Parts: sequence; structure tokens; C-alpha cells
Amino acid sequence: MTVSVVARGLFKAYRDGERRIEVLRGVDLIVDPGDLVAVVGQSGTGKSTLLHLLGALDRPDSGSIVIGGADLSAMKAEELATFRNQAIGFVFQFQELLADFTALENIMIPGRIAGLRGPTLRSKAEQLLVEVGLTDRSGHFPSQLSGGEQQRVALCRALLLEPPLLLADEPTGNLDPEIGEQVFELLVSLQKRRGTTALVVTHNQDIARRCGRVLTLHKGVLHES
Amino acid sequence: MIPRRLGEVSRAPLELVLALRYLKSGRKDSFVTFLSAVAGGGIAVGVFALMLSLAALAGFQSALREEILVRTPEIEVEVPDRGAAAAIRDRLLSMPEVRSAQITSQGAGWIAYRGSIRPVSILGYEGTVPVIFPGAEGRPNGLYVTDSLAHTWNLEPGEVVEVASSRPTLTPLGPQPRVVRLAVTDSFLSGITEQRDRIALPLSAAEGLFGYSDYRVLVETGDLDTALAVATRLRSDDHAVRVSTWQDLNRALFFALRLEKAMMFLAVLLIVLVAALALVSDIHLIIASKRKEIGILGAMGATRRTILRTFVVLGAALGLVGVSVGASVGASLAWVLGRYQLLRLPASIYFLDHVPFKLEFGDVFLVLVTAFTISALAAGLGARAAANLRPLEALRR
Repeated sequence: MTVSVVARGLFKAYRDGERRIEVLRGVDLIVDPGDLVAVVGQSGTGKSTLLHLLGALDRPDSGSIVIGGADLSAMKAEELATFRNQAIGFVFQFQELLADFTALENIMIPGRIAGLRGPTLRSKAEQLLVEVGLTDRSGHFPSQLSGGEQQRVALCRALLLEPPLLLADEPTGNLDPEIGEQVFELLVSLQKRRGTTALVVTHNQDIARRCGRVLTLHKGVLHES
Repeated sequence: MIPRRLGEVSRAPLELVLALRYLKSGRKDSFVTFLSAVAGGGIAVGVFALMLSLAALAGFQSALREEILVRTPEIEVEVPDRGAAAAIRDRLLSMPEVRSAQITSQGAGWIAYRGSIRPVSILGYEGTVPVIFPGAEGRPNGLYVTDSLAHTWNLEPGEVVEVASSRPTLTPLGPQPRVVRLAVTDSFLSGITEQRDRIALPLSAAEGLFGYSDYRVLVETGDLDTALAVATRLRSDDHAVRVSTWQDLNRALFFALRLEKAMMFLAVLLIVLVAALALVSDIHLIIASKRKEIGILGAMGATRRTILRTFVVLGAALGLVGVSVGASVGASLAWVLGRYQLLRLPASIYFLDHVPFKLEFGDVFLVLVTAFTISALAAGLGARAAANLRPLEALRR
């Protein structure tokens, strides 16, 4: 399953004491189903903010986001949580795995949140570990895995429920270039295989160029590169 | 040690899995461990103190009730005259559950022997000695005095005493005391809770002392609950008679005992309440240390309710450990102290030579449910902090 992403006139500002910082100043965005889109820009330009809005983790001050026909602004907090679980897979810069759970268990958690359980869930998670070549690390805790391994586990976790939209925030930003390359390759291959719509926020121009489309966020506005 | 199945991610309820893992990982943090120990330990101490104090109180109250009830008729029926008393007695004796029904006449007076005189409660009875005179119950008709009086006055069976009524006879020369001279048949066991000495004498002698009025029928069924049922039937059958049960006759005492127990329960429960506050702090500390993970769970779609339940389960699990430990140790100690009578008392001061401990199911149940409910409520209070965290806000820290 795949979805389109349509964002219109997104505004988002933060308060820093007395100062009001406008991060997004009317972002318009259309991503076709199955596309892999890179969002680049300098640090502090609001790339992550945009990703958080698209990922239903935050609400814009104004503007609308429609993902696969679902208008996020019309949803209540509980509905947004369910939407995040069912429709969006997140990959963060710092992996953000649950420290008290093994690699396999981390992958299963979104499934448990969705109400799945038992051997089916387990075998699905194991299958993903096979795909990313981490079968022998399934019982290891995050602290026992390298950065690249953790990011691969995070990728598996994001894709467990086969969400139609994958959002990655600097997925290689915290990795050695070589490992980052491998992880990105893996992300692209899994995204292509599943036909998932994906947005990758990055400041790595090499990685951005390998995405089908590159958007630049500058002064709170998104430009086609 | 957590059972494997309980912590299995693919099977067990998610909230339980998360809570147990957080509890386990909290052990690595010395602050969390310390606060958890204070909270769980405090609840355990509170439950332990509740179990022990309620068991001791129940033991004392039970002994006291026994001491009083053995000297209280199960049912006492007040009737206007001897004829009515005989009719009620015969009707009662026709009931299969009634063991005995005796006509009595009661009043106050004095007993005198060789210049010594003492106020007494007098009960005249027909037939054998009623069961409310322990040690002499079922013995032949005659005069029975308390063993303490017999001991003080050195009274032996067959010695003659004078019994005077508090109701004088009016004569042309003025009021004259009504006095009968009777030979002592034997003695019965006096109770430490009795405010005044009692004596039992034949009904005919009592009629001589008090006249032909104030008759009461004493009824025994052998079972306190059966007695209550019989009394209810008597009341509905005959509205003219006044029926008092063992409950009515000791109502004030039973109320005082219940009140004492309730106050003791509330006072000791304060320990659990203080421990519950520590539990709230502990949960807050765990939440602070797991803040980012709460954000990750939120990003993965965990609802506010899931997060709330996770930390409620976590707090309740800590509470459950405290309650279980406190209850087991408290109950075991109460049983051992009761069984082997390890806490001795001076029998001359108290009516018992040891502190009795009695574990009552109702008390244990009340302690367990109350302590666990307080823990769960404290957990809920703490868990709200986690549930109110917005995923993004939690992820940013």
C-alpha cells in the first residue's frame, strides 16, 4: 500500500522567551505515492519540524496535511496516535530504540501497539531481521549493537506494519560514512520493494541526490531543487 | 525474578511487558532502586502493622466477647406476669431449635454473711442453674454465689447467708426489708468484666424478695445466629412481649469494639498512605528516566491510555510486592504469636495471660484490598505525568 502526501500552507512558529521564531512560513508540498523525496537544508531551517508535522507528532499553527486522503487536522490525539501506528514509520537520527528490549522485541513493539501478538508477529519481525542481515543479533540489546546495526533495527521497526509512509530524520547523520551508505542502501531497497512513499530529511547531499526528488527548505519555505 | 511468559513481548499484555522491563531496568539506577525500596517497603510495613494490630485487636475482642457472652442470655423475654411467662416458655420449648427456656425473676439487693455485706444482682430461676452462670450451669436448683465471693468470705457449701431485696415491704411500722435466709449450694465462675457480683437462687426465693413481677424468660439455642432468628420470630408472633437478644443486651459494647477497630485501622493505614506518596515520587523518577522512551512509544502510536496503563501497572506491581510481603510476614507472625502464645501478660491484671492473635478473613481481605487500592491510586496519580507527556516534547529532551 502506498499514499500521497499533500501539505498546504504550513506555518509553524516557536516562542523563545519573548522572541517568536517562525520556522515554517507557508510550506506547500505534494508527494506522489511511492516516491522517495529528500528534504535538505541548513541546520535549524525547520526540516525536522516539517517531518514532525507530516508524521502527526505535532500540529501546524495553520495549514493542512492530508496523507492518503486522511486530513490530520481533523483528527483527535487518540486518532493521531492510531494513525502514526498504522500509517507512518519513523526512523530517527539517533536510532531511538527502547533500551530494555532486544532487537527483535524492539521490532515487535509497533505490532503490539497495533494489537498484534503471538507467533505471526514474531515471525514477521524475524523476517525483517533476515532482510537486513541481523538474524544473529536478534537477542541483543541496543547497547550491545553498533550504530549501524541499531539503525537497521530501527528501520525494521519502522517497516514492521508495512506503513504506506516512511519518514526518516537524518537516518545516516550519526553513522560513519561507509555504514551510513549501507543503511541508506538498505532503506532505499526496502522502500522500493514495498512501494512505500518516503521522505528523508538529510543534510548529506550525496544521499539527497540519490533520491528521486530533492526539496530544499530555505527560510521556512520549500523549494524544488 | 519475573516469570518468562509474563515478560514475553509477543504474548503478554504490552503494558505489563513495558512495566516489568522498566521495573527491572530501574534496578540499575540507585535513586530509583532506593525510592522503589522506600515505597514498596513502606507499603509492606504498613500492611504488616495493619495485619498484626488487627489480629491482636481481633484476638482481644474475641476473648472479651466470649467472656461477656458466656454470662449473657442468648434471648431474654420480658413478660408482665408468671402466667404469661409460663405460656411463652412452653411455646419456646415447642420450637425444635430451642434447647432451654427458663422463667426467671431479676433484681438487685445485698448478700450478708457474718457481719459482712455486699451489693449483688439477684437472679431467681426455675429448674437447673441457667448457662449464664458458668461453672454451675445445669446444676440442681439452689443458691450459687461467685467463686470470688466464696473465696473472700470463706463460704463453704451448706453455710447460711442472708439475701435482702432492694424493694422493702411497706408495713404500718414503715418500710421493712425483705430478707431470706438460704444455704449456699455452691459457687460459679465470676467474670472479670462483671461490675457487680451476681447470685443465682431458686425462683420461689426471688419471688419472696421482689414480689410477683419482673419475670423474664431466658432462652438458649446453643447458637448465636439461631438465637437471632428465634428472637425475630418471637417478635413477629407476639408484639406484647419485649424480646432482647445477646446483641441488644451488649449493643453499646459491640459498637465500641467496632469503633475501636475502625479507628485503629485508620490510624495504622496512615503508614500505607505515606508510603503511597513515596510511590508517586518513585513513579515520577522512573518517568523522568524513561522520558525519551515514552516519546518513542508515542511516535510509534502508543496512545495516552497505553502509557497511563503502563505506569499504573508499574506502580501497582510495586504496591503488590509491598502488600504481599507485608501481608505474608504480618500474617505469619500473627499466627506464630497466637499459636505459641509468645507475648505473655500478667493474668492478674488482664483477664488473659497472653496477647491473643486472631486472623479474621474479613480483616485480611480489607487490609489487602485497601492497601492495594491505595497503591493503585497512587500509581494512577504518578502515571498521569507520563500520559500527559506529548511524544514530541518527550523526544526532544
